[in-house]
This record gives sequence, structure tokens and C-alpha cells, in this order.
Amino acid sequence: MITKLLERGGDLVERADVCVIGTGAGGAVAAAELAAGGRSVVVLEQGHHWTKADFTQREHEMLPRLFEEAGMRQTVDGAFTVLQGRNVGGSTVHNLCYSFRTPPAILRLWQQEHALPELTAEALEPSFQRVEATLRVKPILETEVNALNRVIRTGAEKLGWSGFVTKHNREGCIGAGYCILGCSYDAKQSMLVTYVPKADAAGARIYANARAERIEVDGSGRKRVLGRIVGHGGEAYGSVEVEAPVVVLAAGAIASPDLLLRSGIANGSGLVGRSLHLHPSVMLAGFMEEPIHAYRGIPQSYYIDEFIDLEKDPHRGYVLMPIAGFPVLTATQFPGFGRDHYRTMRGFSRMVGLLALLHDRSEGRVTPGESPAKPRIEYALTPDDRRQLSESLVHIAQVLFAGGAARVLAPYWSEPVELRPGDDLSVLAARGVREGEIPLASTHPQSTCRMGGDRRHAVVNAFGECHDVPGLFVADMSVFPTSLGAPPQITTAALADRTAHHVLERWPRLGS
Amino acid sequence: MRERSAPLASLSRRGFLRLGAASAAFVALAQVRTVPAAAQAAPPGPGPRFFAPRETEILTQLVERLVDTGEPGAPSVRETRTIPTIDALCRGLDPALTGLLPAALRLFEWGPLLFDRRLARFTRLADAEKDASLRGWMTSRLALRRQAFLAVRNLALLGYYSQEETWPLVGYAGPLLAGAERRG
Repeated sequence: MITKLLERGGDLVERADVCVIGTGAGGAVAAAELAAGGRSVVVLEQGHHWTKADFTQREHEMLPRLFEEAGMRQTVDGAFTVLQGRNVGGSTVHNLCYSFRTPPAILRLWQQEHALPELTAEALEPSFQRVEATLRVKPILETEVNALNRVIRTGAEKLGWSGFVTKHNREGCIGAGYCILGCSYDAKQSMLVTYVPKADAAGARIYANARAERIEVDGSGRKRVLGRIVGHGGEAYGSVEVEAPVVVLAAGAIASPDLLLRSGIANGSGLVGRSLHLHPSVMLAGFMEEPIHAYRGIPQSYYIDEFIDLEKDPHRGYVLMPIAGFPVLTATQFPGFGRDHYRTMRGFSRMVGLLALLHDRSEGRVTPGESPAKPRIEYALTPDDRRQLSESLVHIAQVLFAGGAARVLAPYWSEPVELRPGDDLSVLAARGVREGEIPLASTHPQSTCRMGGDRRHAVVNAFGECHDVPGLFVADMSVFPTSLGAPPQITTAALADRTAHHVLERWPRLGS
Repeated sequence: MRERSAPLASLSRRGFLRLGAASAAFVALAQVRTVPAAAQAAPPGPGPRFFAPRETEILTQLVERLVDTGEPGAPSVRETRTIPTIDALCRGLDPALTGLLPAALRLFEWGPLLFDRRLARFTRLADAEKDASLRGWMTSRLALRRQAFLAVRNLALLGYYSQEETWPLVGYAGPLLAGAERRG
């Protein structure tokens, strides 16, 4: 049963075999597998339970419903916007459905440099298969590649660059294009319509509006999760208390370390909240001669991997991804005001966006902020990462022009750069990417409770169990030992599946 | 009218940074404080309520310049629900984020005096002078002023470009769901 605590009222007191915190790509999978495996499961989700009827395709209505801090979460210096879901289903409700398995080179890196020899592709295969079947992962059809992605593909192919049409997790997609505002048609196979109902059907008791704020562990290893019933603005309406021998923490790579740090547990390594990777991204806009309405159709289907070769160097590189927005999101990404700004907006229907997403080595940090709803996020680019992002600007512009753009705009907040075909693109590399000078964003924060075989250098082991606290597991992007270098949805879900099955195999000893 | 007491002098760096944190989605913050209330999505009320009348006038004149298109047929800020939409959004924001907004508006009003040494208020300036004042904020060497500018600018953009009447200006065809099909 999915209970909206704000509507029910009162406090929440529960007992279960397992308490799962979070309902995103990690938590929903863990909850469903554990409940299906016979465990009594209580799930706490701080966000609300919105469904397709609530997804209105209007930006000013959907951004506060679906995003942490209503989409305004930022690093402390304001340089990076960090987008995360805050609703039942987590970020999978607003993501754009790229469905990649963990790159083999990254798995080898984790095995070799993070003492995780058991984390092989073979070991993960059953988890990948279960996840992909449940999420209905399939190739995007050629007929589903929209105008935006066709432009990007044309550009890449003219340049002879490596790229491909990806897989996704949609079923019966009508190509409306509002994926980032929640799917009004339940075509997106997010956790909201797959694993959450599966967990519900298996008997998990799922509570929306329940924010975990502290985990207590007694001498016998029993755990209590304490928190509050919260509204969207963070105001409290009641208390939450769940007792369980096993806790699976899956609140995301910002909230999970924040909760551990607030609880004062699991940090013998001193690494909780550290090693934050963001997969930072930077975007340029191209303008075609004719309207293409880039916001219609599947937003992301083509993927350029020319500038990442994880087999050669698993530590660096970047990919290029198409991006489209709606008027408000688009308007706020461009500099200036008044008529100057409108001159850019006038090209909205002809606009094609392309972003570079960096496989970053830069490491940031999450620490508790003034309230559990506002953790402090610090992050700064290393010189090499800054150099790569600067180089990516040139490559983005090359693709846009090769794809037919008549004009390309680099949206520096001060003195934006406009280029025409034939212009010298090195101006972009020279201007480069510096925090605070051009919009930078992250949709994939990760690695803040990293996995590793050596407890001195990792927070959790190969199954996501905290080295310091038996029975406390982490099952979200926090556990990635390094930046993933690829869209993370399937890896997150597969690792959570593996964690859940590990818990089931160790039961009842783990529950005693 | 809610109580407010933040004097201009209390606009701390932190406060401005909070304002600066408002980006595209800052605007989207604007929902009422409880989720059930947000689900009801009350339309903007008959008149602004978050901002006092004087602040509303400052905000309106700021927004008019920030979203000026120069197009003869463009819907004006005053004939759309741009300002009520911003007001309704701010009503639903966490007070920790919005508490300084009224004071920030007054800083914009007195910006010409404070930063340009001109004996004039923003709302008494001609359009070209208003634009010059805003450019001063946008290009200031003080990061706090730039961030405050971005926060107010993004509110303006949200308020204006969420109005259906503005979509033809930019060639946006609009949502596929008609009003009757949606709840919220």
C-alpha cells in the first residue's frame, strides 16, 4: 500500500524486517526484490506520490513537484545546478531514459583499483537481466529518433565521429516529449510504474512524505530510523519511527551521506560525503534556419562517444548528448535580459541543444547543511576536467554546424559568444569553462559512500553493506567507486538488485 | 499581509547567495507549502499577496524591462498574469528562500542612488535608464549583485514565459494536454 502521510495525518510508527529509505532507481528495486523475497518491508520516501494525472506538462507546476529544492539545488558557490528527484520514483520520474549497462572498463577499474574482484559482469548479469526486463529496456527505433537527434546524428556522421542510437525504457511512447516533466501517459517505465507497484504488490508498506533524518544503531545491531512527515517546503507535520534489523539507504548521493553524517555512523573511513562526482555538463545552443520543435519526440536517443574511450583510459573523457527544453527552462539558460534575451528566445522553435557530460575526476563533498532538506554541496573542477570541458565546447559547436545550424550560441553569463559557420571555433576553447561564467549542471551526483574492498578506503563493501555497520546497506549512486562515465540508471538499479538478493541470501542470520 | 522586518542592511552575503541560487527552477519553487495544497494548484489569486503594493509596483517595472521583447504585438506584463503568477509562486516558497525578496526589490529600486550615485529611483527612470541600471546589476564586479540580478531575472522569465499568450512569440506549440485533461 502506498500511503500519503500528509493526507493520512498522525505519526508513523512501524516495524519491519527491512526499512528502505528512498524510492528511486536504487530504493524501489531493493524494496521490490526484498518484499518479493518474503521480507516485511517498510519504505520511506520524503517526496510526494504524484501520478500521471498530476503531470500537467507545465513547467511552473511540475518543477516543484518533481525536483529536490524545486530544481534550485546548487553547489554552495552557485556554479552548478544539481537536479535530483523528490517524489515517489525519484529521479527516474524525470530522467530521459538512457539505459546503459555499466561499461566493462569501469567494472574492471572497480575490481582492480577498489579491491572489488567479485564485481564482475558475470556476477552482475542476473541483476542486469532482471532490471532490464522489469524496465522493458529496448533499442530506440529509427522511427523514434526525433528532429533534434537527427540533427545531432547528421552532424556526427558528417564529421565521422562515433555515435549511436541508444536503448531506453519506454513502452508505448507517443513522443510527446515531456519526459523531464513526468510522463503523462505512463509510457516511461520509471520506478513509479514498475518497481514501486511491484513492491506494493509484494506487500511492502510504502510511505510518501516521510523524511528519514537519523539512523540509530543499538548494541545488538537493531536499527531505528527516525524522521518526520514533511510537506514539500520541508515543514513538519508528524514523526516517523521505524525499527528494523536491516536498513537499506537509497536516498541518493546527496541525501544518503547527509543522513549518515547526521547520524554519526558508518564513517570509520572518513569518506562519507567525500569523493563526490557530478558528471558535470555544459551546453551550447544551435539555431537552424527553419523551426524543428526540438522539444517534441524522445528528447535523447543519439549519443556521441567519440571523446571517451574507457578501454584506453577509464579515468577521463566526455560524451555529447542532445538536449531540449521548454520556454521557461530554456529562457533561464540564456544570458542577458530584455530585447537581447528575446532575440535568443525568438529562435526557440529553431533551437537545438547539445551538451557535454564529463566523466569527472574532480571530487567534491557533501556535508550537512542548515536542515536535512538543504545539504551543503561543494565541488570544484580540476584543471584537467576544466580543460576537457573547454575542449568539448569546440566539439559541440562542430557537431551543431555540421548538423546544419546557422548560428551557435555559447551562453556565457557575461559577453556570450555567437558563432556562424566558418568562424574560428578556437575562441571557445580560449574562453573555456570556468565555474560561474557559464551555466553548468549535474543530474548524476555519485560516489559519496563509495564501494570498495578495503574498509580504510571505502564506506561500503561489494554488496553495499557498510563496513562499519553490519545490516546497514547503501543502494544508490553513492556507492559508485568512481565516476561511472555513462548514464547511471541501470547500474544503480542492478547494484541495488544485487544488494537485495544478498540480503535475502543471508536471511535469517542478518535479521537476527 | 505577512509580517516582514528585514531591513536593507540585513541583506547578508548569505542571503544574497540564497537569492542567487534561484535559477530556472527557482521560479518553479512557487507552490504552496503543503503538497496537498500544491496538488490543488490554486490559480494565482485576484491580486498579489506576497509582495506589498509598493513592492509589486517595483517588481512589475523590473519585469517589464527584463522581458521586454520590443515586439509591437507582444502581450504586456500588465495584461497577462505574469505578476500574479510570480506572487503566487513566492507565496509557496520556503520563507528561508523568499524572506529577503521584498528587501531585494527595494535594493533594485534604490540601485541608481546606491550604485550609480544618481538621485533617482528605478521606478522613476525612463526605459533606457532602467535598462542601464539593470545592466549595472548584471555586469557588476560584485558576485552578490550579479546573483541577485539572475534571481529576479529568472523569476521574471518564469512569470512571463509560463503565460500561454507568450508562447506564440517564441514559436512554442504548447503542451499536448489541454486544460481540461490535466489536474493540478
